[in-house]
Amino acid sequence: MAAESRGALPAAPDVLVIGTGAGGAPLLARLAQAGLRVVALEAGERHPPGGIATDEVAQAGLFWMDERLAAGGDPVGFGRNNSGRGVGGSTLHFTAYTPRAHPDDFTLRRDTGQGVDWPFGYDELEPYYDEVEQFIGVSGPAEYPWGGPRTTPYRHPPLPLNGAARLMERACAEVGLRTSPAANAALSRPQEQAGFGVRPACTNRGFCQAGCSTGAKASLDVTYLALAEQHGAVIVDGAQVTALLTDASGRVRGARFVRAGREETLEAGTVVLAAGAIETPRLLLRQNLANSSGQVGRNFMAHVGVQVWGLVEDDLRPYKGIPGGLISEDTHRVDGVVGGYLLQSLGVMPVTYATQFARGTGTWGPALIDHLSRYNHVAGINVLGDCLPYAHNYLELSDELDARGLPKPRVHFTFGENERRMSAHAEALMRDLWARAGARDVWALPRAAHTIGTARMGEDPSSSVIDPVGRAHDTPGLWICDNSTFPSALAVNPALTQMALSLRTADALITHLKETA
Amino acid sequence: MSTDDRAAVEAALRGPAVTPPTRAALLARLNARYDRQYFTPAEFGQLRAAAVRLVPHDPAELDLAGLVDDRLHAGRTDGWRYADSLPDGDAYRALLAALPADFATLAPGAQDEALRAVQTRLPRAFEDLLAELVEGFVSHPLTSYRFGYAGFMDAPGWPQVGPNELEDREAQYGR
Ligand SMILES: Cc1cc2nc3c(=O)[nH]c(=O)nc-3n(C[C@H](O)[C@H](O)[C@H](O)COP(=O)(O)OP(=O)(O)OC[C@H]3O[C@@H](n4cnc5c(N)ncnc54)[C@H](O)[C@@H]3O)c2cc1C
Ligand code: SF4
Repeated sequence: MAAESRGALPAAPDVLVIGTGAGGAPLLARLAQAGLRVVALEAGERHPPGGIATDEVAQAGLFWMDERLAAGGDPVGFGRNNSGRGVGGSTLHFTAYTPRAHPDDFTLRRDTGQGVDWPFGYDELEPYYDEVEQFIGVSGPAEYPWGGPRTTPYRHPPLPLNGAARLMERACAEVGLRTSPAANAALSRPQEQAGFGVRPACTNRGFCQAGCSTGAKASLDVTYLALAEQHGAVIVDGAQVTALLTDASGRVRGARFVRAGREETLEAGTVVLAAGAIETPRLLLRQNLANSSGQVGRNFMAHVGVQVWGLVEDDLRPYKGIPGGLISEDTHRVDGVVGGYLLQSLGVMPVTYATQFARGTGTWGPALIDHLSRYNHVAGINVLGDCLPYAHNYLELSDELDARGLPKPRVHFTFGENERRMSAHAEALMRDLWARAGARDVWALPRAAHTIGTARMGEDPSSSVIDPVGRAHDTPGLWICDNSTFPSALAVNPALTQMALSLRTADALITHLKETA
Repeated sequence: MSTDDRAAVEAALRGPAVTPPTRAALLARLNARYDRQYFTPAEFGQLRAAAVRLVPHDPAELDLAGLVDDRLHAGRTDGWRYADSLPDGDAYRALLAALPADFATLAPGAQDEALRAVQTRLPRAFEDLLAELVEGFVSHPLTSYRFGYAGFMDAPGWPQVGPNELEDREAQYGR
């Protein structure tokens, strides 16, 4: 939509939400359904399924491409590796793995003396997990072998397993590891979606990480944001917030943003910051807001994400089938490590594979071309493991400005001893599995994935930024709801838990607004 | 040869298995050409010669050096860089300056030796440049064709996803 044709913004909404990803979107829908007047400002554009190309380079617009600086001993790549920008946030290109956190993920400190406990447990999130899974339409097995109690089965049967998933299934069976089709937020059969229409079943086109062109994947634009708009929420795309408005008492009163090159302001009763674990602290640090604890930007975490790749005889066509097919959580707790990890099969798009191979192995010349020409025979497997919060991992503002004239964030990240041990354990296991699968030219890519922490929740205002429901401890009118709030990283992919937290924070905010009305 | 490859690519791209947004992106890329604007002529000569050794290709067919120049000229980034590295353009300039001045005219073996030396001395700039060239190479429709990659022909979906379960259009695409 051209900027000129966008309607005027509703004046002084009850709630202004900044960011429309996994943290912002479910909450926006919940508030709209409760009859509140809500507006969301989203820096990125709308990306309706019909406009999505089956091409990684053409889809670069789904990522946050303003330059970020990666520092520390294990620098985390951003851009296409770890960011999102658009109506739907990072869920536009997420792989749609949707495991639940386990009950013991929330109590790592109690159980091991290390890490940080969450201020509530699995019981508290369970009904929200159920609700999200049913609403977005998760496909999964009838019986899931791991984790806490489930009261409701997955809504749809599991999706078909691609080549790598089948190799992993066989190799795991040989070493006695249980596997299961993963829970995946792509539809194995069509589903009616409120505010959107019928979403079709997945066509196995394998490009989930470059956006779904069919609407089969439960990105938030075709799920919670469609519901939000059906209930009157106004979503403004191409609107990047540059500052929060505060009054003399220190209360947050709205936001300043740039849309189509023009600066505008919007006042609101309450502001929910849901800009993700990099942009949320970046905004707050610029004004030193909500930071009496000194914890804004602190405790940055990224999951242990080592991948192992190899070439097999079979023609696998790694571009086919949902990339997130098979899972094993038998390594949820492993000896000698605090926490644990899960194993997942991979599908991979060609540019992603090729650039990772070049960066990861440093191969060039004819050897590079030879390897890349065998793309159809590439099989991948990876892990996702917990990461402890450390003082040495943090985000700060640098004095370099990006193309918009805003200070670039510098993100320091170095694995601790625990993450190194976990990576080594996982790599050895996966190399064994791939040897059993007959893979050649096996190579490993040490990696960290997802951006977590930087504005954590907790009971104690001296060591956390927000309270257990999402309200800033020290700044009235401000709530935070995104991956920045996780006190610990959890040994599972974060999006489903984030959506559940989003509904929970929305319920708390609705109650709070009623009580203070 | 090359003209046949191009004809096969164009036929596939215009076929019914490709969605309109995919077709538009790939046809534009198939024929993309860039005017040098960012680097000096000397730097650009170094870049083109290095690019051919790093990711062997025919520059008349695939303008990888031009792609890098165009991105830097337009000021586009890939969203991040190592904090201890120079901004992309400066880092690449330093890398090209670290090559022998007569790099473009050296014998292939001597070129490779010079490249191995800068890979060791300037590992991050080398890694970034290599990854950028690889992206340009692999995303080009002619490369897809030569590697037998058919993933862009997905409009009808892929009902079979198991090993060796190929649709005709996959089995037949490529050299
Ligand atoms: C390639 C990839 C694959 C992934 N796969 C999985 C997976 O399989 N399973 C899983 O559970 N998780 C996965 N994730 C992670 C998952 O996407 C995130 O955990 C989740 O989306 C985070 O939610 P969020 O709300 O914190 O941030 P986001 O979803 O990133 O949303 C933040 C939004 O805020 C907007 N924004 C930022 N700053 C501003 C501003 N100043 N003004 C206005 N808007 C702003 C951004 O544009 C963005 O749209 C993946 C991530 C990536 C990068
Ligand atoms: S594999 Fe399925 S869910 Fe993923 S992008 Fe393709 S159609 Fe969408």
